[in-house]
Amino acid sequence: MTNPLVIGAVAYTANVVPIWEGIRDYFRDSPAEMDFVLFSNYGRQVDALLAGHIDIAWNTNLAYVRTVLQTQGRCRALAMRDTDTTFATVFVARPGSGLNGPQSMKGSRLALGSADSAQAAILPMHYLARAGIDESELEVARFNSDIGKHGDTGRSELDAIAAVIAGDADVAAIGVTTWDAIGRDELMPDALEEVWRTEIYCHCMFTALDTLPAERYEPWVKKLLMMDWDIPADRRILELEGLRQWVPPQLAGYSALFEAVAEQGVASRW
Amino acid sequence: MVILNLVRAVSALPDGGVVEVAIPHPGDLELARRWAERTGNTVVSASPETTGRRTVLMRRGRTPDAALTLGADRMPGARLWIYTNFHCNLACDYCCVASSPKAAKRELGADLISRLAVQAADWGVRELYLTGGEPFLRRDIAEIVGSCTAALPTTVLTNGMLFRGHGLRALQAMPRTGFALQISLDSATPDVHDSHRGAGSWARAVDGIRTATAEGFRVRVAATISAPTHGALQHLRQFLDALEIPPGDQIIRPIALQGAAPSGVRLTRETLVPEVTVTTDGIYWHPVAATDERALVTRLIEPLAPALDRVSALFAEQWAATSTATSLFPCA
Repeated sequence: MTNPLVIGAVAYTANVVPIWEGIRDYFRDSPAEMDFVLFSNYGRQVDALLAGHIDIAWNTNLAYVRTVLQTQGRCRALAMRDTDTTFATVFVARPGSGLNGPQSMKGSRLALGSADSAQAAILPMHYLARAGIDESELEVARFNSDIGKHGDTGRSELDAIAAVIAGDADVAAIGVTTWDAIGRDELMPDALEEVWRTEIYCHCMFTALDTLPAERYEPWVKKLLMMDWDIPADRRILELEGLRQWVPPQLAGYSALFEAVAEQGVASRW
Repeated sequence: MVILNLVRAVSALPDGGVVEVAIPHPGDLELARRWAERTGNTVVSASPETTGRRTVLMRRGRTPDAALTLGADRMPGARLWIYTNFHCNLACDYCCVASSPKAAKRELGADLISRLAVQAADWGVRELYLTGGEPFLRRDIAEIVGSCTAALPTTVLTNGMLFRGHGLRALQAMPRTGFALQISLDSATPDVHDSHRGAGSWARAVDGIRTATAEGFRVRVAATISAPTHGALQHLRQFLDALEIPPGDQIIRPIALQGAAPSGVRLTRETLVPEVTVTTDGIYWHPVAATDERALVTRLIEPLAPALDRVSALFAEQWAATSTATSLFPCA
């Protein structure tokens, strides 16, 4: 392996190691060999990208936005998961709560996840504001259980759900993947129901600085997009990382988060 | 809420990791099963109602495909081991079946071995391994090899020391295709090998490797090593390279705590991928435990198919329950 691309990722779960060892192996003996570095949080990873310690960062949507803001746009989106293109925030409440749609949430107790979670804190407030609901009209409880990991662990969303179930909150804002992970309202129809859902937006993506030469990243992206669900070794990686196919970036899906970060004064770093 | 507990517990695991989660209410067990089915996780087991404390053992992810994980050639039934006899011209201090010149012969009849080879092929076995004891102590070893090789690709495990006189003539009569010899050699110099196997045994084993190679046989070399000194493995591999043993035919395995071995890797049926093994006493789980009653599958040797079916079924259950703990012990 001579001069491999170095990819950064955040270690938000024990599965990150087999995922990235699998991805590294997938690129072995290809024209785009790679290695990886794990970070404990996205702030540190973006710092490393800007400092040139890594070539490509596997970023959350907020980490991407922060990279754009810190580089004045001098970065490049390379690829994302198919599942990143259809992300959404789901508002869940106890059945019979009377909540249905954003207007019904006025005056309710809203449980949010970690403050740096786009899906469980930043975008829920953005979409509520667009629907005409100001934060002052809500009693907001924040569960900052996994700050630094941008909500990736899902822990803060589970804490928000637990607050609703315990009666300490009326409604929780969670990512659609967490809603799926608990079986939506199909496994336990008596426990929770969906009362509103935002429009779809984009989530994670590979980001590089615009100084990374095309001859370095293009073969890598080309091979990444060739990863095949029907090949068992590839499929194991895809299943662990939560996708069926890598796809080219869809930048329009980040516009809501750019707006939200500006509106809410979210810091461009950490 | 059991599902929140499951999500919290399982999401903290690596793929394949297992966690025990409390089930507060009786109906929650079914909920846990449905959650696992829906999310691609696996219920390994649930505590019986009688224990008073309801829990479920949950694995992150699905049970891995055994054939994909181990390789089709390592699945139970892919190999059949046959102990032709238990007596040996050596008395290695780590022998997993305690063979020696004083050990009872306990020979399987050539006719029985021939029938087993055919039954094995019919069942779907891919390879036969003849071992002992020292198979070349048998006067009819060439006949046995001939009948086995006619049915399936066959390997004979030997110390390589008896390729002279009748042993050499028997060797020369064996087929060159579909047949291999696996000769034991524990070190690149006589010291370590002879300390376990007896003075002069290293030089004769090396002669045996050279003789078999010169006769046109495929020769694999297997080393049984417990705690190699610095550089010993590299030295051995270089020595085997010089003997023109291909890297893929150089096998290094640990000492198993079985038979005569006073120490070694502790193996149990529950942690060992089976390689069905026939001896005069019956059918065993693995050749490394061919005198261990805990590894006995059945006393009934013929017909062979039911034993192969049984081991496959037992392994499937075991794999589903403890695949993360099951390991290969490569004898060949």
